[in-house]
Amino acid sequence: MVVKRGEHKVQGGKLIRVLLEEDRGRVARIRITGDFFLHPEEAIFEVERALEGAELAEGPLLERIKEVYRSAGAFSIGAGPEDFVKAILGAKAWSPVRSGPP
Amino acid sequence: MGELWRLIGIDSHDAYTNMAIDEAILRTRAAGKVPNTIRFYRWRPSAVSIGFFQSIEEEVDVESCAELGVDIVRRLTGGGAVYHDSDGELTYSLVVDAENPKVPTDFLDSYRVLCDGIVRGLRRLGLDARFHPVNDVIAGGRKISGNAQTRRFGAVLQHGTVLLRSDLSKMFRVLRVSDEKLRDKMISAAQERVTTIEKELGRAVGFEEVSGALRRGFEEALGIELEEGALSDEERSLAMELREKYSSREWIYMR
Repeated sequence: MVVKRGEHKVQGGKLIRVLLEEDRGRVARIRITGDFFLHPEEAIFEVERALEGAELAEGPLLERIKEVYRSAGAFSIGAGPEDFVKAILGAKAWSPVRSGPP
Repeated sequence: MGELWRLIGIDSHDAYTNMAIDEAILRTRAAGKVPNTIRFYRWRPSAVSIGFFQSIEEEVDVESCAELGVDIVRRLTGGGAVYHDSDGELTYSLVVDAENPKVPTDFLDSYRVLCDGIVRGLRRLGLDARFHPVNDVIAGGRKISGNAQTRRFGAVLQHGTVLLRSDLSKMFRVLRVSDEKLRDKMISAAQERVTTIEKELGRAVGFEEVSGALRRGFEEALGIELEEGALSDEERSLAMELREKYSSREWIYMR
């Protein structure tokens, strides 16, 4: 298990930060933070849950986030699903901040 | 004569109480028990509020806050970290039922409509204020007001700040900067980007003068009449309950 951090600055100023626990190319756990707006706000927890187990690749990540947006009727301002994916892939490419037993 | 709304404030509370009162009004309005409301308030002591999705450790210098006696609270609304100076910043909150035809369903449109109260209020004071999408008001091209909105339970809550004067060095002590070496640079960059009513007018202004102008601004922008009122007993006791949440570690350090 490796913990990584990623950041993505959206055009227009919003900053998305990701704390990613990666397990063999997949998301083990993830936390997405930043100064964006997402309605309803609680959808962020669903997004994070839905990403658990996802392969760390653009297609699968985007699909899972968009599925939550659809089911929760979510709407975001300042950052969209594509931006979250960029931040996550940024984290994937980051050097680890902490390593631990699997 | 326009629709009658309730006006509350200016009152001053700590950060947890301020956020609890906003949510109490939102919930009670959603239940149809109180009128649409605009509240003006200050933060005593000064405080940092962070957006719903932000992480405390990423945004706030917790040690400096403790040293300076600055409270830290997480908002119900998204957006960025804000330093609310006791003596330099006035906050408003606006609560309206979600079905009200005055408020567009579209978030982006509704920011424009609700922020128009701030724009008109600042213009009354003599500032060259305008709306800057998505959720800012600028004066002389620089940011003077930031705003954030949530919709829950069937009502809309928008709250936002208006800067009377600023203490940028204190602001950058309590908010995290990505790199210590950049602190001075960030202060001067913020000076370029942010302005205050006093800077724009070149004179001192008081809180009552500003809230009075904003009150008229909202009345004009929304076609409403504001009548001075107070929190209901139910709102008060709900706010007391909600204060527990806002001051809890679980809520503040949720992310």
